[in-house]
Amino acid sequence: MELLRPSSVEELEGGVFLHGGSEVVPLLREGLLEAEQLVDIRGVVPRGIHDGTVGAGTTLAELEVEPAIPEALREACRLAASPQLRNVSSLGGNLLQSTRCWYWRLDYPCRLHGGDRCHARDGEHREHAIFANDFCASAHPSDVAASLVALGARLRTNRREFPVEDLYRLPDEADRGTTTLEDGELLLDVELPAVESSVYLKAMDRKRWSFPQVGVAAARHADGSTRIALAGVAPIPWRIESVDDLDAATPLPRTEWKVPLAQALVRRALAQLG
Amino acid sequence: MARLIRTEKEVEGRFEEVWIVVEEDPLEQWPEGPLEVVGKPAARTDGHERVRGEARYTADLKLPGMLQAAVLRSPHAHAKVKRIDLAPALALPGVRAAIGPGEAHGLEEEAGFQGAAVAAVAADTFGQARAAVEAIDVEWEELEVVLDPDDAVKRELLTAEPRTYERGDVEKALAQADVVVEATYRTQTVLHNSMETHQALCEWQGDTLHVYISTQFIWGIRQAVSDTLGLPEDRVRVVCEFMGGGFGSKNGPDEYTYVAAELAKRTGRPVRCALTRREEHTSAGNRNATLQRLRAGARSDGTIVAFDGEFTNSVGWSGWNASTEGPMKMLYDCENVRTVTYGAKLNTPPMKAFRAPGFVEGTFGLECLVDELAAKLDIDPLELRRRNYASSNDGTPFSSKNLEQCYRQAEPHWERRHEVHSRSDAVWKRGVGMASQIWYGGGGPPSYAWVRLGSDGRATVITAMQDIGTGTRTAMAQIAAEELGIALDHVDVELGDSARGPYASISAGSSTLPSMGPAVRAAAADAREQVEDIAEQRDMPKDTPLHEIVAVLEESQILGKGARGPNPTGMSVLTFGVHVVEVAVDVETGEVCVERVAAIHDVGRIVNPLGASSQVEGGIIQGIGHTLSEERLLDPETGRILTTSLDSYRMPTIADVPEIVCEFVDRPDEHLTNLGSKGLGEPPIVPIAAAIANAIRDATGADVHELPISREEMLRALREAEERAREKEKRGAPATV
Repeated sequence: MELLRPSSVEELEGGVFLHGGSEVVPLLREGLLEAEQLVDIRGVVPRGIHDGTVGAGTTLAELEVEPAIPEALREACRLAASPQLRNVSSLGGNLLQSTRCWYWRLDYPCRLHGGDRCHARDGEHREHAIFANDFCASAHPSDVAASLVALGARLRTNRREFPVEDLYRLPDEADRGTTTLEDGELLLDVELPAVESSVYLKAMDRKRWSFPQVGVAAARHADGSTRIALAGVAPIPWRIESVDDLDAATPLPRTEWKVPLAQALVRRALAQLG
Repeated sequence: MARLIRTEKEVEGRFEEVWIVVEEDPLEQWPEGPLEVVGKPAARTDGHERVRGEARYTADLKLPGMLQAAVLRSPHAHAKVKRIDLAPALALPGVRAAIGPGEAHGLEEEAGFQGAAVAAVAADTFGQARAAVEAIDVEWEELEVVLDPDDAVKRELLTAEPRTYERGDVEKALAQADVVVEATYRTQTVLHNSMETHQALCEWQGDTLHVYISTQFIWGIRQAVSDTLGLPEDRVRVVCEFMGGGFGSKNGPDEYTYVAAELAKRTGRPVRCALTRREEHTSAGNRNATLQRLRAGARSDGTIVAFDGEFTNSVGWSGWNASTEGPMKMLYDCENVRTVTYGAKLNTPPMKAFRAPGFVEGTFGLECLVDELAAKLDIDPLELRRRNYASSNDGTPFSSKNLEQCYRQAEPHWERRHEVHSRSDAVWKRGVGMASQIWYGGGGPPSYAWVRLGSDGRATVITAMQDIGTGTRTAMAQIAAEELGIALDHVDVELGDSARGPYASISAGSSTLPSMGPAVRAAAADAREQVEDIAEQRDMPKDTPLHEIVAVLEESQILGKGARGPNPTGMSVLTFGVHVVEVAVDVETGEVCVERVAAIHDVGRIVNPLGASSQVEGGIIQGIGHTLSEERLLDPETGRILTTSLDSYRMPTIADVPEIVCEFVDRPDEHLTNLGSKGLGEPPIVPIAAAIANAIRDATGADVHELPISREEMLRALREAEERAREKEKRGAPATV
């Protein structure tokens, strides 16, 4: 394996991008990701916060202490992982992390791995999705992604600029991926619009260092609109318009409990927005 | 004087009849209460060594020329090797030897669970060994997988004959009872997750095998290895200087030891075989799941008249049928008790002892049932426990029992419930629950120690025991210092090597202190008596300090010898305690916060209050993991393990730890040894799950029946309680016209 350390976007050609390594290194070790070239992008991706623009290389630890960052994002960072992980994990890497579905992590030939069934649907799925879980029942693990969706953030890559929701797509028969990034496309910046208020609430199975069972981000925008996005309930971050949208959830037998939990958290989040 | 006796030996609630040579224990017990050194808090004598990284654990050892082994394990929950070819592994770089089924104890053709060991490779590096294991060519024949314990019991797939027990007439008593409660409880499979994974490093020197191993029982390893390999016991040396946790999972040698020994023999080099964290989650043992169908009957005055329990332990492919029924038989004074305990043989990894095996699970069921009974009788749960206090163990007297004193000390904590309730609001409901604890922990002979005294006035305790991380070195030094009348920092403890000291007890079943402590005290007393003899011969005054007396020794040394005396005959030696837990439950999201635990334990004399508190805190934290978040999950179709890492298997973090208040009765057991101390390793984990569940009921009215109390289980129980309340209201409401 070769490690490249480019110093500009222009030098990038292929390979697996590596920033903090808290996701890529375990995936390489488990054989879930293969790479001939590993590209250390720390010299390429902007890091730091300038007005409303956050470099994709900014660590979660840096975001959580920055008063200029909206509360939903700061809280999502604070409640993510452990201090050690937040010290190395980048914002961009967090958005692109893979599911924690145990079948996927153990390399079962599931749909996300190109296979023809979702093992979780028939098997052990108590931590899985309540929306869009027909093809693949995995649950998206990123607290940060849900908060950025609620905040209406926009992303800039080396090729384009787009709303953060457009980073994600539901996997289907033809394309098993859960993001829209192309080969060689690299997240560079996140642009955060000013919001009136925002909040992130997270249910975990212990007090800290857990992925969301359900995470709820909500933001009140300048135009008076409210955006709500959920983590841990669908294969990708999931937007809903109101608490009533949870009535349309399609839980699996052992994920039914997530519906009342999500309802309670959404109500609370909206109440806290004021 | 030594005598040969036939006695019942108990470890982890399992009894066997053995012949042992015991020596008399003529020393009088010390008076109750804190003494000069014993009974006063002492920081760990090896604390700095450990935190500086100087303490040498088995995992730290490197011998010249050492090879690394990796083990091929079955990917299937039940399969047979049809064909295996080790040649592709042997052809890879760095590989020195490979062995297959039957070539080392524990490598087998039939794999009864995912993670069963099949073959192994030794190579220069662990990476090479791993790669070689993956290159082994195996053809598997997959076999039927049995995962459901009820199904196994129905089909009589059992690890042993069902165990039955009966006293009185349960059916008659239940029929006559004023109140009967019935419930089914389930507990999950949990993993020990010792920080140091299971491992051994084996080296042959001539025909002596040196086994460096992370173990709870140096002498047990020596005997098992010598039996299995057909070596004289003195040709096996076992070393474990520092040890990174076992919790019951490191009582025996297991396949990794035999793999290392065999590969070391074949290569002529030292070989390490260490489990990875992933292997630790499949192949290192577990606390088995249980299913408990329980009934209890009582008279309206609160007298419990009957207990009836059907217990199924999901033992796994092998292992033993732990006493899940034990608390039901022993905790209360109840005339009619009937239990049956099945050990289901399943295609899941074998259980191993895990900190009070059986009693942790059984206490959850029993103590929740007793609280459901208290609710139905409308009697205060503490009062109900007092009304059914057992004054003997079904006729056998207790060597000592101060559970009533525990209850008395629990009263102020229990009284807090009124104030705790008042802090509830619409979302967070607060409550207080309790549960009692009963468990073994008396230890026993044989166990020996020596004490060496030199002219510098320092003493060294020598015994080939192990310190499994519980503070054993410190406690042994305290006992020797007390007996010799010298300062704690003038005592060294040499342990951890079967070639450098006498036989010592297993560190399991809460037995280290009650087994070893009396032997150390006896050895120190023997040394002290010799010193007193010298003083007398030199006409020194009686109160001459020890260091002045031994100063005359020059090159001479005094060697004291001590042995653990017998346990009292015709008595039950048991430990007792009670936990009072305060919880807060978010009734909308099912979040459970354990806010405060008061733990009061009766384990005889406390040697080191600081070490004892640390044991209690550790047990409670491990128990909180068991109660709230930990569970090993299987794929229900294939029986493969899904939680193979610490990412998916969730142990508590420091943020989950509540305020913990530790109290001890600290009254020596007058019948037990020259020390009067029982063990404390296991008692603190026994009652915590039930106490949390009972606090949840107090806070919310919800009956929790399953561990872990996940949000799913909590929300289910809350919904059920709500429906019950609605039903009751409907029934109570006047009929509409």
